[in-house]
Amino acid sequence: MMLDRAAGLLLLCGIASTASAFTIEYSRDRAPELVKCDRLLYAGQRTEAQTCFLELLAESKDTRIKADAARASGDVRAANGLFQQAIKEYPQDVAVRVRWGELFLATHQNNEAVKLFEEALGLDEDYAPATLGLAKVSAGRFEEKAREWAQQVIDESPDDALQAHLVLARTALEDGDIKAGDEELDRALELADDHDLTPLEIYALKASIDLLRGNTDSEWTKRALALNAKFGEAYATPAYFYVITRRYREAIELLRRAVEIEPDLYSAHAELGVNLLRENKIAEAEQHLQLAFRGDPFSAPIVNTLRLIDSFENFAVLQHTPPPAAAGASSSQNPGAILRLHKDEAPVLEPYVLDLVNRSIETYSKRYGFEPKEPVVVELYPDHDDFAVRISGLPGIGLLGVTFGYLVAMDSPTARADSGFHWGTTLWHEMAHVFTLEATGHLVPRWFSEGVSVYEEWSTGPLKGRHIPLSVLAAIKEDKFLPVAELDRGFIRPTYEAQVIVSYMQAGLICEYIAGRFGQTGLEAMLDQFAARKDTAQAIELALKITPQQFDEDFAAYVDSELGAVVAQLEPWQEAQTQAHEAASAEDWRLAVAHAARAIELNPDYVDEGSPYLVKARGHRELGETALGIDTLTKYRQRGGHDPDALLALARSLDEAERKADALDVLEDVLLVAPLRPEVHLTLGEALLAAGRATDAVVEYRALLAMQPHDLADAHYRLAKAYAAAEDRARSREHLLYALEIAPHYREAQQLLLEVVR
Amino acid sequence: MAVAPLLGAPVTLRASLSLALALAVAAPAHAELYYLIVGGLGGEAEYQDRFDQDTKALAAVARRTTSQNRVQVLTGEAATREALVKGLESLRARAKAADSLAVVLVGHGSFDGETYKLNLPGPDIDGDELAKLLAAIPARSQLIVNATSASGAVLEKWAAEGRTLITATRSGFERNATRFAEHWASALANGSADINKNGVITAQEAFDYASREVADSFEKEGTLATEHPQMAGGAAARFTVARLASAAPAAAAAAANPAVAALVAERDKLDGEIEALRARRGEMTNEAYLNELQRLLVQLAETQGKIDAAQPAVAPTSPGPQASPGTPVPQEIRQ
Repeated sequence: MMLDRAAGLLLLCGIASTASAFTIEYSRDRAPELVKCDRLLYAGQRTEAQTCFLELLAESKDTRIKADAARASGDVRAANGLFQQAIKEYPQDVAVRVRWGELFLATHQNNEAVKLFEEALGLDEDYAPATLGLAKVSAGRFEEKAREWAQQVIDESPDDALQAHLVLARTALEDGDIKAGDEELDRALELADDHDLTPLEIYALKASIDLLRGNTDSEWTKRALALNAKFGEAYATPAYFYVITRRYREAIELLRRAVEIEPDLYSAHAELGVNLLRENKIAEAEQHLQLAFRGDPFSAPIVNTLRLIDSFENFAVLQHTPPPAAAGASSSQNPGAILRLHKDEAPVLEPYVLDLVNRSIETYSKRYGFEPKEPVVVELYPDHDDFAVRISGLPGIGLLGVTFGYLVAMDSPTARADSGFHWGTTLWHEMAHVFTLEATGHLVPRWFSEGVSVYEEWSTGPLKGRHIPLSVLAAIKEDKFLPVAELDRGFIRPTYEAQVIVSYMQAGLICEYIAGRFGQTGLEAMLDQFAARKDTAQAIELALKITPQQFDEDFAAYVDSELGAVVAQLEPWQEAQTQAHEAASAEDWRLAVAHAARAIELNPDYVDEGSPYLVKARGHRELGETALGIDTLTKYRQRGGHDPDALLALARSLDEAERKADALDVLEDVLLVAPLRPEVHLTLGEALLAAGRATDAVVEYRALLAMQPHDLADAHYRLAKAYAAAEDRARSREHLLYALEIAPHYREAQQLLLEVVR
Repeated sequence: MAVAPLLGAPVTLRASLSLALALAVAAPAHAELYYLIVGGLGGEAEYQDRFDQDTKALAAVARRTTSQNRVQVLTGEAATREALVKGLESLRARAKAADSLAVVLVGHGSFDGETYKLNLPGPDIDGDELAKLLAAIPARSQLIVNATSASGAVLEKWAAEGRTLITATRSGFERNATRFAEHWASALANGSADINKNGVITAQEAFDYASREVADSFEKEGTLATEHPQMAGGAAARFTVARLASAAPAAAAAAANPAVAALVAERDKLDGEIEALRARRGEMTNEAYLNELQRLLVQLAETQGKIDAAQPAVAPTSPGPQASPGTPVPQEIRQ
């Protein structure tokens, strides 16, 4: 096991051997020789400190001291070897294991670090630095366990607990609990004073508190810089809190200052690079990420993000000026959009993405009285891992889309081709964030921004209907909704598996409730309060003239009135669902229809996987009850059902029933869930052309052609036909020639060519 | 000038008019197409039904593509090793060097690492024996479609000069029941496989269509593909495997009417000029190319219009029974 660890680290060391050397050490058992060098470092005397560490590395007889000196001097490779050697020499020394674990932590190899911390605790279960190591790993993962480890250190080893207080302070501040964070920092300051430890990190966190309170000119920053003029964390630490509260522009400014005074603060270069990307400043971002990589080649997010930037050459950047305002329309300003779409998908997706972006800007500008000041950048990633790297530097994130202000990044339909992913709703959701973030200078709390986005999905989005997953209904039944003033906690630090989605839905319901009771102006007034730096409790009192407690009570009554009946019937609903599916499996369609109808009656909003509407529609089809089948699928669609095959079947049935306009509507819906299926464009193109909408048909046939279908001649011919109907003879001729170039004997194309060129 | 391969024989590559003329001179006068379709042992009812259905569909296409007496179909209990050997031996006796042979094998195949076997009622037949029987048939132009599981095992062993070999799998180790036969049958019956819209489906067009449908079917299911169709041999674009209805009346009219024959010859000349123009595309501006292309295509369309006017009306690209096989139909190589 130890060999694997060493091999893993050395593998990374093969890339480079430096990592950020500036680390504040709080261990009270640190060797005095090292402490002497540390002090030079903390005072900003970098050269002297480096000389001091290198001398120790060369001259010390104690391998443990040499290992620490190597690490502090930035030579990770040497440090790794020396720690390995030290463990052989001092197998019972818990401190060496923890120090080596810290090295793994600094090089982003948390699992190896945890193993070493646990080995240390195996040797001495009371060794506080080992427990603290676990706390730091957990804190980095936003795990609730971090607080428990930190509290354990404080309770059992109060004199060694300075860093534990810092862990608690950070987690409190991340949760927005400024008061608790401040109290922890005060205790940390006392300990620093008592034990003559540097307060630099504490000052940086104190400055962060000032920043969170709106004071951007903190005395604490000045104090930190007075101790060490090259202490970049004085800016980088507050910048972190800007980042987690989505104030990326302000974070960039602080991070620029951080790297200005401490050019080898690689973590700040990395953060700066990532945040510049969020502002669509690609070239500058790449420069900082390259610098960060040179200094810290162990960071997967840095490497991943640089690779992502390289892959941008496979994307098309499509700039769109604002559409002209319709005659008689209000003079709302649309600043336009920039689409970054994969080159393979851009020719198909561009018109649909642009249309939805423009429609959302028009809708939200009216509803929220805010006009975007910059073009909105919309990126769609066909590879989900690329999207995940874009937003977090790491693959495997379970999100669909993220908004950084005027930049939206999301999965493209290809990324989730097998999941019924309704990309149109995701884009609509994210575009609402653009408005809530920018209208408040990014001061809107997470819950409210998500709430507005979810509410807009339900009320104005392309997928109509309130869409509440079963896990959320179960949470309502178990009374798991949080008080509104604490709802952010459900997003940031969930305590049970489904809490994030539960929080999304609760936020959406709250916004729905506000809009219903106080009008759309209630939501706008909340945004105004957030823009004025009010917290949730204050915003509710000032905007809605109601106490948060009363709000929670009234909201609970609203939820009960809206969903109480469904929640109370979850078990009978489940039973009816199961019976419907069993009857369908047995091909007893009459029974299947009856059970499905019962399930629909008990929970009419359920349109997810296995929806009873689909069972019922299938039953009607098998029984030859076409009209009832159409009616069932129509209701399914009205509630937000969007299975593309079901919608295509509905469109076919409507078409056969001569309900051409309805069929067209349904087909247009399919584009928002399955835009990369050629048959959708083919069918829709035909329907649009038949309806006399030749220009719209052109869009569909262009998309079809862009997919390089098997029968290219046919695709060119169809497009030519649409162009001819749109009276664009030049383009019609061009595509007819392309069709006939492939298939010179294509009779229909020949006939149309003769008509077009004569 | 017409290129004159008869039905089923390789249609002529029209890389240039002169090449077309040369081939026309060399083309045999009485070449015939022989079809042998074998529906192997299903084992389970589900597979047997599927194989029977595929075999039936293929037989229908074959019977409308060449005359009935040149189509052999072995299916169900009749598809024994003995019957297959007998069928292939009869082809050895009947087919001439100038003729064409299309053999389609549907069903389960197996491969033990050394030997491929086609599963049949009673004793199976192995790949080596089949190879010998096929090699003994004098027809120089052969299309062998082995649509069975593990069929990729024969890719090297069955390769021969003048033979186009298509397998459903890329090796003998893709052993799941295959879907290729179903899509191959669909390609022959379906106008959408006719990419150049000339009313004739070549082995190349059918292979492209069927391969794509196989891949799409796995993709739609979200499952890993268990078969990867392969093709070897260079004559697939010239091997006509099916005719659609649109191609037949012109042939009949041309045979009966010298005026129509002249129009067909004019059309073929234009085809050659278009082909030659396409070959020169890189030397021209796009505008000049399209202008010249338009000039030729308009002439072609007008000529085609006259040909169509001289014959009974049919749906232009819909599949259907062939009225009169055997008249030349210009064919171009797939781009």
